[in-house]
Amino acid sequence: MARPRTPAVVWIRRASQTGFFLLFLYLFLQTVYKPVNQTGKGVKLFFQLDPLTALSSGVSARSLASGLLLGGITLLVTVLMGRWFCGWVCPFGALHNAITAWRSGRVKEKIASGGYSRWQTSKYYLLALMLAGCLFGLNLFGLLDPFSFFYRSLATVVFPAFNDLVTAAFTWVYQADPGVGRLKAAAVTEPVYEVLRRNVLSASQQRFLGTLLIALLFAAVVLLNLYRARFWCRYVCPLGALLGVAGKNPALRLKRNDQACNDCGLCVADCQGGANPAGAGSWKPSECFYCWNCRAACPRQALSFGFGAGREAELVAVQGAKEKAR
Amino acid sequence: MIAAILRWLKAFFRPPRQERLDLSRRALLLAAVSGAGAASVARIGATEGRHNFSPALIRPPGAVAEDEFLARCVRCGECMRVCPTNALQPARGEGGWTALWTPVLNMKTGYCEYECNLCSQVCPTHAIESLTLEQKQKVRIGTAFFDRNRCLPYASARTCIVCEEHCPTPKKAIWFEEVSVLRPDGQRITVKQPRVDLELCTGCGICENKCPIADERGVRVTSVGESRHPKNQILLSLGSDGLMGY
Repeated sequence: MARPRTPAVVWIRRASQTGFFLLFLYLFLQTVYKPVNQTGKGVKLFFQLDPLTALSSGVSARSLASGLLLGGITLLVTVLMGRWFCGWVCPFGALHNAITAWRSGRVKEKIASGGYSRWQTSKYYLLALMLAGCLFGLNLFGLLDPFSFFYRSLATVVFPAFNDLVTAAFTWVYQADPGVGRLKAAAVTEPVYEVLRRNVLSASQQRFLGTLLIALLFAAVVLLNLYRARFWCRYVCPLGALLGVAGKNPALRLKRNDQACNDCGLCVADCQGGANPAGAGSWKPSECFYCWNCRAACPRQALSFGFGAGREAELVAVQGAKEKAR
Repeated sequence: MIAAILRWLKAFFRPPRQERLDLSRRALLLAAVSGAGAASVARIGATEGRHNFSPALIRPPGAVAEDEFLARCVRCGECMRVCPTNALQPARGEGGWTALWTPVLNMKTGYCEYECNLCSQVCPTHAIESLTLEQKQKVRIGTAFFDRNRCLPYASARTCIVCEEHCPTPKKAIWFEEVSVLRPDGQRITVKQPRVDLELCTGCGICENKCPIADERGVRVTSVGESRHPKNQILLSLGSDGLMGY
């Protein structure tokens, strides 16, 4: 069966994820000393958009830093549109998505492992545990907040390592200066290095203490995508849990045409969140990232997203009424 | 319209069975009790920085008192990324287990630059309060102490004034006493032995950072005297000036 054409909305979603991922990296690179005593603009943006930052700091310190109210907008959008943020905005999610998409594996295996698992509730219990801690002044959210996790890993491990490798590579080319006849490699690499040095690399190599644990955790979280699609987002992410609670009955819903569907399960193979798009009334809104992959994978166009209570909900209501009548 | 909103509200609080979050009430209660329990374990501990002051727990300038700091900090690492001298490091043991990966200063990897307040500019939760540069320059994050067993003019009868030269406060916080000492070859020379003025030292750590004794420095900063904590102080009246700092 030929794979149907990828709908435009999937490409728009990919562009949005790429854009926010690049924005996150750009703001990261802007978080440096600029003369005199300044950083680039807006470097706190993602933490301000993150309602979990506001909630955790606000609850445990009983006070809120001004810019954090932006997180309220994220929550409001989530109430209407579900965990759209996870699928379209979150840069950490974009990283997991990319690795999930890159992994190999047969479709059959993906169908078998891609569906909803009760273990996905673990993130809600984690959220409850940490929130209860916050009520009594213990704020541990920073350990697992996705932006904190990602930023901390980038700042103390990934970027310093990148900086070191790039500098070492360019230095080697400069010193050895390999070439053919009068064509020398350094003539090409030195201008590139100059651009990198001015815009990307650190003024001096940053070094951090005790980064092994941070590095191992980051590697583990990235590699777990090979075990389950977007493992972090499904099982761990406390921000995902918060948005899942806020978006548990969104206005934007997945609708299924029962006549067209033949239960092939292809939508499950590509589902990022384990939201069970297949099956009558089995869709889990709080696990759905609105990635539109199910819609793209369906060879019979049986799935679609739309506002308002859909066929599926009506069907359930009818079934419920029948059961009651019995 | 109103009916639709009401229906939506009803479904939000009582969604159809398969759309619920699938949570078990028992497990939820267990999680909440565990969280509260962990918080209580953290509260009753003789935690570094709250009751049992840790000399190594030197927080960035503008950091609020330790309880409040830990409540606000989300350990994002923006301050560590932006610190131009690489002084800010993710905490390991310095502040106890509840402070894992929160920012602490290490005066060997860097020091607190006098003309910089970037960490307070980038902190998203105001765990490090926004301070103007003028305010920040008056904040004390710790106090420097000389180790007379290692500092060269004391321990080895050698001339060294590196720390005093780097001290950034308008009136230097390091002053000298000129002392005549005996060299190994029997000659007498005059060296300048440095002391710290407890009133002027901000604990920035540049003296420790630049000290030529590479491993354990001859002058070291500890957290005592930090502005953010009224109890982590040198609790002695200092002559006519009264209690220092407070």
